[in-house]
Amino acid sequence: MTISSSEFNSLAKDTSVGKGAADLSFVVVPHPMGMIPLTEIREKADRAFPFILKAATEWKPEATLPPMKPIYPARKLTFEGTIAELNQYFLDKGFSIGLPLIPPTPERVTKMLKGTNRKPDDLLGMVPPRMGALTIEMVAIHAVMAGCRPEYMPVLIAALEALFDPKANWRGLTTTTATSAVLVIVNGPIIYDIGIGSRQGAAGSGHQANASIGYAINLIADIVGGSKPPTPDKSLLGGPGDFVAWIFGENQLALPKGWTPYHVDRGFEKTESLVTVMGVYPPVDNIDHWSISPEEHLRWWSYLVSPLLSIGGPCWISQMDQPHIIALGPEHAQLVAGAGWTKERFRKAFWEQARIPFSAWPKGCPNVDLLIKKFGPVTSDTPIPITLRPEELHVVIAGGAGKHSHFFAPFPGCFPVSRPIKK
Amino acid sequence: MKKNFLKKTVFLISTICCLLIPLSISSARETKQKWEFLNPGGVIKIEPMKINPHPATLEGKTIMLRWNGKHNGDKFLERIAELLVDSVKNIKVIKSWEVAPETVDPIAGSQERSQEFARAIAKFNPDLVIGAQSD
Repeated sequence: MTISSSEFNSLAKDTSVGKGAADLSFVVVPHPMGMIPLTEIREKADRAFPFILKAATEWKPEATLPPMKPIYPARKLTFEGTIAELNQYFLDKGFSIGLPLIPPTPERVTKMLKGTNRKPDDLLGMVPPRMGALTIEMVAIHAVMAGCRPEYMPVLIAALEALFDPKANWRGLTTTTATSAVLVIVNGPIIYDIGIGSRQGAAGSGHQANASIGYAINLIADIVGGSKPPTPDKSLLGGPGDFVAWIFGENQLALPKGWTPYHVDRGFEKTESLVTVMGVYPPVDNIDHWSISPEEHLRWWSYLVSPLLSIGGPCWISQMDQPHIIALGPEHAQLVAGAGWTKERFRKAFWEQARIPFSAWPKGCPNVDLLIKKFGPVTSDTPIPITLRPEELHVVIAGGAGKHSHFFAPFPGCFPVSRPIKK
Repeated sequence: MKKNFLKKTVFLISTICCLLIPLSISSARETKQKWEFLNPGGVIKIEPMKINPHPATLEGKTIMLRWNGKHNGDKFLERIAELLVDSVKNIKVIKSWEVAPETVDPIAGSQERSQEFARAIAKFNPDLVIGAQSD
């Protein structure tokens, strides 16, 4: 039996259906349950108790799941109207996230499928939370809608395969109240083959490949996966990452001498093309125009980033095992490397500097015992790092000229997942 | 002079026509048309899961209270535990966060992790699990 708050009961129901339970016993408590005094939460328990007792002994499962339909080929639909009316129809039918799109006609989808050697009926997986079946044909449909070119298909497919890995926590990412987004980092020759933005403004506008692949990823999450607000996407505010996933290629041309590209750090060959996805919070921008030594530059970082950047850090200790991404701007990277620092030295120094005292931990967080277990006895002054080990700080060279770097904290339960890009 | 004016007028009219005709053609293309497209909604594919019926009585039964780690969920369940013990004979209440702290994680995320939690809880052979998902 599940007790949920009134604002989140629909998500609880959708989740249980997505996991195969057509019917589950629920008792709904008026929202909120969190951030209220102890007396109030106990009163809520008192009021809910008769319903809990009744459901505990009388509830029987009744609903059943509808029979499954064939997942391939996609059904053909027709509509009569202008392109604008068709876009409106798509929005009304739940086939759009509000941005303009290109109609996925059978001809356009056939052309898009030429960008991959995969068979159109290949099943990549079921997109959470609705568990919509995602075939290669369905990927092509959404690639057309998002304005992809056929040659982008291998990157899109690799990114989706990575998102299906349980370590990517796609379900949590698309249903959370947080302003989270999918971060996609591309490495290797594919960057130059298809024009992935990897230098000035790499993750911004003007790069057709980045924009359309990012749009396709979110169309698939929201339409095939059904993760639209207000439920089951429970984003409190939401953000641009809900429309277009955050994509950039590593600026491999700006790598300092002796520093390895990110895909080599991930265990792949330099000549391979790789996509890495990770669920992240919006990044912190380190605007350092002034430092002339790595030590000074790290002092900036130490004031900017802390475990409190993400809720998981302080409260759910498991997040401290998760990698965080330092998207180091080329000029900051040159400052550090110019002083003879290796990537490893930078990473270790970053880890040692960016800490907060234990007294900053929010009161009422669970798992403080686990924290003590990992760090030994702590006093209020004990400095706590962002991650358990420096190896969990992943360094990627990102963007072009300028004095900025970015730090991406992971969404709880999200780990970077890499997949080679294959045609 | 008159001829020149006439020539200029004819030139102007024909220029305007040249500009307007393609515009009218393109706006004609914008009129209604029949679209055939592939359904982007896809098909839901879920393996059904069998849910056990609840026990007819809680007397003499073992109840597992499962907290996912969100604020106050444990406090809510602590009170439910008190009320259960007070109102049901021979009931045994187990608190997941005390016996299986690894299941205190609000963002399970994947089917696999949820199953890990379920297995950890199932080891205690409860007759019923009551979970609180707060926010």
